Amino acid sequence: MERYARQTMLKGFGMEAQRRLQRARVVVVGLGGLGSSASIYLTAAGAGNLLLVDPDVVQLSDLNRQILYCEGDVGRPKAKSAAESLSRLNPSVGLRGLAFALTEENAEDIVGGADVAVDALDSYAARYILNEACVRLGVPMVHGAVEGFDGQVTTVIPGRGPCLRCILPGASDIRREVPVLGPTPGLIGCIQAMEAIKVITGIGKPLVGRMLIFSGKEMRFEEIEVKRNPGCPVCGRGG
Amino acid sequence: MRFFASFREAAGRSSVEFDGEKSLAALLDEITERFGERMAAELYRPGTRELRPTVNMLLNGVPLRLPEDLCVRLRDGDTLAIFPPVSGG
Repeated sequence: MERYARQTMLKGFGMEAQRRLQRARVVVVGLGGLGSSASIYLTAAGAGNLLLVDPDVVQLSDLNRQILYCEGDVGRPKAKSAAESLSRLNPSVGLRGLAFALTEENAEDIVGGADVAVDALDSYAARYILNEACVRLGVPMVHGAVEGFDGQVTTVIPGRGPCLRCILPGASDIRREVPVLGPTPGLIGCIQAMEAIKVITGIGKPLVGRMLIFSGKEMRFEEIEVKRNPGCPVCGRGG
Repeated sequence: MRFFASFREAAGRSSVEFDGEKSLAALLDEITERFGERMAAELYRPGTRELRPTVNMLLNGVPLRLPEDLCVRLRDGDTLAIFPPVSGG
């Protein structure tokens, strides 16, 4: 446990929080910029079991921000490379890579049994599928998204606050390649890892009902309060 | 009205207050006139008055459906937040 000494010595954290972390099952959906950062910090913190989901292979243009990979990984499946990289970081974490996409058909199987899901996806079409599965199964989800120097994070705890469809009822995917500077998903993915740890351990106040907006050029963090929508097709009365 | 991210850059400020009751459509006309081309570019598709799909607004914390809710009337004490959700991962 020397590995985790610097966090277990934190007041309010201790061995109890560490044990919760080590028993936790976390699903990281998306192993790009956000997923790289989030999974690295979750692994380093000792989150017990990570399920890593991504259908893509590593490309050279990923390496400005997807810090899980190196040049030798170009052309290899992300799910496999990620599991190897994270295993080197912390061999005691259970790591399983799924090299296929989250779909409506498999979402509940992927998310089922998880203590928290990390939305590290790159499309709202996929995010809405993940959101719906998480709401149906009662699995908390930490949403993150980035572009350029900007990012956003919010935490969905089903039944407690708004879900992603409440907050962004009609977000669309404009383009396939989103321009982004490396530190942006690095930072937002880190925040997602911290939020996931807070959900697992019960420490602190997760971003439920709050969308954190980061504007990197001005180096500003802002918060928008968001309420649950009673008419939400996913988590509302009719959902 | 609270502006976030690129909307704040376009407005040059993080919030502005309005008096009187008005529709959302009228409010958007007012901020376009007040903050000019840059705000128009954030709000609308080029050369049109069609809202861009990247425009997201919350009225008192509840998201608006656009363009259907353009006719919603805003009243004293309401807070409208406008931000562009990002999508990359």
